Amino acid sequence: MREMSTRFGAKPGGYLWAFLDPVSHIVFLSVIFMAIAHMPPLGTSFPLFFATGYIGFQFYQAMAGYLNSAVSGNKALLSYPSVAPIDTVAARYALQLVTTAIVAIVVLGYIVFTVRHPVSIHLPPILEAIAAASLIALGIGLANTVLFIMYPIYEKLYGIITRPLFLVSGVFFLPDSLPPIAKDVILFNPLAHIVMQFRTGFYPQYRAAGYDGFYVWCVAASLMFVGLVLFTSCRARLRDR
Amino acid sequence: MKGVRKMILDDVSVTFPRGKSIGLLGRNGAGKSTLLQIIAGTLELDRGRVIRQGKISWPLGFQGSFQGNLSGEQNVRFVARIYGVDTDELVAYVAEFAELGQFYHAPVRTYSSGMKARLAFGVSMGINFDYYLVDEITAVGDTNFKRKSQQTFKEKLSDSDVIMVSHSTGTLRDYCQTGIVLENGQMTYYDDINEAIAVHESNMKRH
Repeated sequence: MREMSTRFGAKPGGYLWAFLDPVSHIVFLSVIFMAIAHMPPLGTSFPLFFATGYIGFQFYQAMAGYLNSAVSGNKALLSYPSVAPIDTVAARYALQLVTTAIVAIVVLGYIVFTVRHPVSIHLPPILEAIAAASLIALGIGLANTVLFIMYPIYEKLYGIITRPLFLVSGVFFLPDSLPPIAKDVILFNPLAHIVMQFRTGFYPQYRAAGYDGFYVWCVAASLMFVGLVLFTSCRARLRDR
Repeated sequence: MKGVRKMILDDVSVTFPRGKSIGLLGRNGAGKSTLLQIIAGTLELDRGRVIRQGKISWPLGFQGSFQGNLSGEQNVRFVARIYGVDTDELVAYVAEFAELGQFYHAPVRTYSSGMKARLAFGVSMGINFDYYLVDEITAVGDTNFKRKSQQTFKEKLSDSDVIMVSHSTGTLRDYCQTGIVLENGQMTYYDDINEAIAVHESNMKRH
């Protein structure tokens, strides 16, 4: 299985990019916000604040992006009858989960050890946020592999619609501190909840007002359901391409 | 992407006997390659079923089924794993057979089409299948390699059968004893490859 993962998942450029992307985002956000504000909304460390936001978000974003092309990117291998389309998705899911987890441990570990105040890490909310984020990504990825093939125009629309996702997921602000109306709108986005929950694992004093775990898991379950149904009913067409 | 739907098999029931190699004939676009994919199991029938006994290869084509970013060797390892054969043995066998030299460790996308074909042929010869599904590939590479691969393939055929698509009637006569003609969604089995070739040729003359 490990073999399968690396085979299906082979990324050009290697793992360097997996680190470069979050690190550059975190540094960039920290520099900009340090110039305009004295203190981050939580704690005292800008890098820690943005890292907890961005990496929590990445468990969804990197996963969804990678899964969307699981089938189209492994077309050649699907001509072996013993390789099913779902195998490519499962392998990429496992590989991406491990990759982002390693990135999280290295990047967050580095920041935690370099900030002046000790950080107390509470694992359960972190793991739950990761599980929810990656399952939402899996549901969307399953649906998208099918829909991208059937409706190429949808792929373009999807790209446009999901671009601002980063801005409205509470990566560089706290939904709690928004005006009530804006907060209500933002909290329709399950990813905002996930980022909030991810942060509670690093900031014991953070109360994450408005976080609704039930809502997150409902969204995750429905997306998984839709994704699996679409994927199963169209699996014959997936090989065709 | 929009495609054209075409009936390939319409209410057909055929048993492919074990121990005989079969040549598959039909005009361009009749669905010979599609039929091979159905037999292999990479395509599902809209209705009906395929009952397979024995170990069947994937359809062997010119291009092979390789992940371009991985080296030839890594691709061979992958195939060995999914078919449950000894990895190191297969890697060594293909290294010797395909004569790729240094390219064996280079990404497949840098290969020439001849190299890809040699790699594809080597991998398939390294695994013992009961049935080989062959799509227009029996002779690849230069004269020496051709001779070697034909000899290996003939040896394989003492234990294995082949289901072969080819437009070259000479090749079909060479490898196959029986034949199937695919025409207008009908699949007709002939005990004698020569008879199948004759029917196919008269089909071709009608249009």
